[in-house]
Amino acid sequence: MSRVLYTAANPPARSAWEAINPMRMIGELSETRYWMYLLLLPSALLITAVVLYPTLYGIQLSFREMRLNRPALGTDWVLFKHYARMLADPIFWTALRNTAVWVTSSIALEFTVGLIAALALNRNLPGTKVLAVLILVPYFLPNVVAGHMWALMLDPRLGVINDLLVKTGLLTGYKAWFADPSTAMAAAIIVEAWHSFPFFTLLIMAGLKGIPTDLYKAADIDGAGPFAQLRLITLPMLKTIIAAAVILRVIGLVNSPDLLLILTNGGPGRATQVLSLYAFQTAYKDFNFGYAGALSVVMFILLMGFAWAYIRLSKVNQD
Amino acid sequence: MTQTRSGSKLVWDTVSYAVLILLAIVCVGPIVWTFLTSIKVEEDIVTRSMVYFPTRFTFENYVKLWSQSSYPTLVTNSLIVTSMTVLICLFTGTVASYSFSRFNFAGRTQLMLAYLIVRMFPAVLMIIPLFIVMRQVGLLDSTFGLAVAYTSFLLPLFVWMLKGFFDSAPKELESAARIDGSTRIGAMFRIVIPIARNGLVATCVFVAIAAWNEYLFALMLTTSQGSRTWPVGLQLMVGEFQLPWGMLAAGGMISILPVIILFAIVQRVMVAGITAGAVKG
Amino acid sequence: MATLSIKGVRKSFGSVEVLKNIDIELEDGGFLVLLGPSGCGKSTLLSIIAGLEPGSGGDIVIGERNVNNVHPKDRNIAMVFQSYALYPTMAVRRNIGFGLEMRKVEAKERDAAVQRAAELLQIEHLLDRKPGQLSGGQRQRVAMGRAIVRDPDLFLFDEPLSNLDAKLRVEMRTEIKRLHDRLGTSVVYVTHDQIEAMTLGTKVAVMKGGVIQQLADPQTIYEKPANMFVAGFIGSPTMNFLAGTLEQMDGALALRHGGATLALPGLEQDAQAFIGKQVVAGIRPETFYPGQGQGTLSGTVDVVEPTGPDTMVILNVGGQLLTARLGSRGRPKLGDTMTLGVDTAAINLFDPESGNRI
Repeated sequence: MSRVLYTAANPPARSAWEAINPMRMIGELSETRYWMYLLLLPSALLITAVVLYPTLYGIQLSFREMRLNRPALGTDWVLFKHYARMLADPIFWTALRNTAVWVTSSIALEFTVGLIAALALNRNLPGTKVLAVLILVPYFLPNVVAGHMWALMLDPRLGVINDLLVKTGLLTGYKAWFADPSTAMAAAIIVEAWHSFPFFTLLIMAGLKGIPTDLYKAADIDGAGPFAQLRLITLPMLKTIIAAAVILRVIGLVNSPDLLLILTNGGPGRATQVLSLYAFQTAYKDFNFGYAGALSVVMFILLMGFAWAYIRLSKVNQD
Repeated sequence: MTQTRSGSKLVWDTVSYAVLILLAIVCVGPIVWTFLTSIKVEEDIVTRSMVYFPTRFTFENYVKLWSQSSYPTLVTNSLIVTSMTVLICLFTGTVASYSFSRFNFAGRTQLMLAYLIVRMFPAVLMIIPLFIVMRQVGLLDSTFGLAVAYTSFLLPLFVWMLKGFFDSAPKELESAARIDGSTRIGAMFRIVIPIARNGLVATCVFVAIAAWNEYLFALMLTTSQGSRTWPVGLQLMVGEFQLPWGMLAAGGMISILPVIILFAIVQRVMVAGITAGAVKG
Repeated sequence: MATLSIKGVRKSFGSVEVLKNIDIELEDGGFLVLLGPSGCGKSTLLSIIAGLEPGSGGDIVIGERNVNNVHPKDRNIAMVFQSYALYPTMAVRRNIGFGLEMRKVEAKERDAAVQRAAELLQIEHLLDRKPGQLSGGQRQRVAMGRAIVRDPDLFLFDEPLSNLDAKLRVEMRTEIKRLHDRLGTSVVYVTHDQIEAMTLGTKVAVMKGGVIQQLADPQTIYEKPANMFVAGFIGSPTMNFLAGTLEQMDGALALRHGGATLALPGLEQDAQAFIGKQVVAGIRPETFYPGQGQGTLSGTVDVVEPTGPDTMVILNVGGQLLTARLGSRGRPKLGDTMTLGVDTAAINLFDPESGNRI
């Protein structure tokens, strides 16, 4: 064995530079007990600056008057004026109802399609790896492009879907899907589901991998058919993952008006007006920041309430 | 008995293939249709009887979009904003994620939860104050301002997703490196980050795609050519009456090309990361 | 090479105390085994010795140097981990040489040292592979190579063999013993495997609940366990505990259990104070032999387990089951009444209240 190498007792000679070498000083710093906090500092500061501060600012805005296009009104405190106005605002109630429809229908559709796709992919049949990648593609597409693709395909004059439906006899003439109040919401939900169902597929696939195959073998021996296995093994085992996926999707659907903004802008009439879109328009078009702030605060509270109730419910069911 | 068993397996295999192929067509169909539209001549798009397979191909829409509209500027702006967002996340998020993954300290759980909960904040609630603040500090309508705004929802995502990748590198590796003569920071850069390299790339790609695709913040926080990103620009092309479908399709194809390429390259690692981040969250 | 002193080391996580006032002295060149069930604090103690975790109190002295405030990299120790912790991105050569690289040893000297270590462990042919291409046993050897190449003051082993299959484990155990004999470097070795502790250690610390139950050489720990926990933890099959009343009989001590009486002539322990009181006799299975003896017990045969060289007989003695390790000849039948002699000199008596050896 080689004898004396450099050890702590016999260190390599250090030049004067070593004493003030910044790399060495950072190295020393990393051995202190504050190191983990130092690593967190930059991101924590940034998040405070771009999330916490704006959010608090936004909440206090909801108690103030602030209209950028009418500076004469000033920026005084108005306490609950915006909230009171909201209760009497028919658009708010319509938007609230539409949000409920938009969120529940989209999630129901996304979950169903996502689950079916995941179950089919989980059979690991030859050649399905490629199909899996293709199925995931929509999730990564921009809302703007996804919206335009479907607007093009559903166009009342040159939409290919209209043409296909007419040719197969399902429809007698071309239909203006987004211009008809009775179909606009449904059409938008289909586009949203197309865009986001892969998220469920992704998560459910991960969950399926975690279910021991022995369970299915045991169920086979006990004589449980495929649907019984789905109901008694697969879905209960996926409960946590489904709960997580649903919460994340609800947050996404409630918070972001992007797709509806592109597809319908809330129309026709108020058929597809949802809360987030209404809040955004109030800010972006009317520059009524106070009222928009109040609308988003209400949205936020509703979301928190939902998440809390949902987590509680899925926990209770587990026991 | 075995007859019916293999028989039912055959039925289910067939059903699976049918479902998957149908879904794949539904998923990719719109993209293919958009591509076909983008290379059709105007007469084939606006027509009385649907033209499925164009008889004439043209790149006129692409040429027109690139030379006659502001699309090159828009794409450049988007590239700048996206790169800045990724860099900010990379510099501030990597170390944060590492800290969460490697150390046990007072307040860790609460902080991690906080990084998760900020994702629940409505975009609109943040957009308004960000607009006001950015206007005050002169960052409104700037690529840097937009990139900073993007970190509000992408940095927490970045930290959570990357943490999953760091977690899968055993903690004992750092202990070994520290005994071998590394400092903590040395162990992090020399040992752990190289191991999590694929995850780091995938996480960056995920954030890059999200920043590249973003529409709402960009709409509110940019007002001019100087910083406007492509989603906003593309949307502005939509006129009131006559839709320029050919150009829209061409713009869409150009914009999703980098997304699809990046996704194809890192999809496996990225998919693992998204799932891990979401499941643990 | 150096001595190791652990003086009053404590560790708590919040209000949970995982180590309570640990004192251990290890002589230069000694082999200390920290033995205990999972959660006993042995790995935490090793981490504190390595400097990977700060202790909540007490001192660690390696050689003459108090290392409480010395970073792990400067403690001049080497460690082998349960998962081996090989750097997956580096080839074996660089893995082994990494510690030298960090200490800025010249490439030439480094290569020579790596070569020597590799020869010692017979892994020269693996030097250019990545850890992912190695088998479990090979990884284990590389991990050891990484430790010995630096010629440290102290080796730390954290359950190094528990990820290996049974055959390799025995092989590597012998290898570690050979290396220790050859290099003479002091070792601290954490394990939950009593065989490893018995075969390797010059000194064994049996731990439970953050407290050292007994610190002694393996022989003492086996023959004179300090308490019932140590007695039960060491040995396989485990020691039999026979509860009864200690009595004076014909000038010698005897244990009365139910209707049976076990004479205890030749008992080394001074148990006069316990006459007339409840005690527990610890009897190792191999101290039984067929036929009459100084002390004799009889009961009905409950289970017979042939293991090849031995036959384990589980005997029901007045309602208590005792395991006896007997030779392979003459297997008793179930339900037979059997009489066994006991080597009474090897019996340990315990106080049932404290659990301590009398």
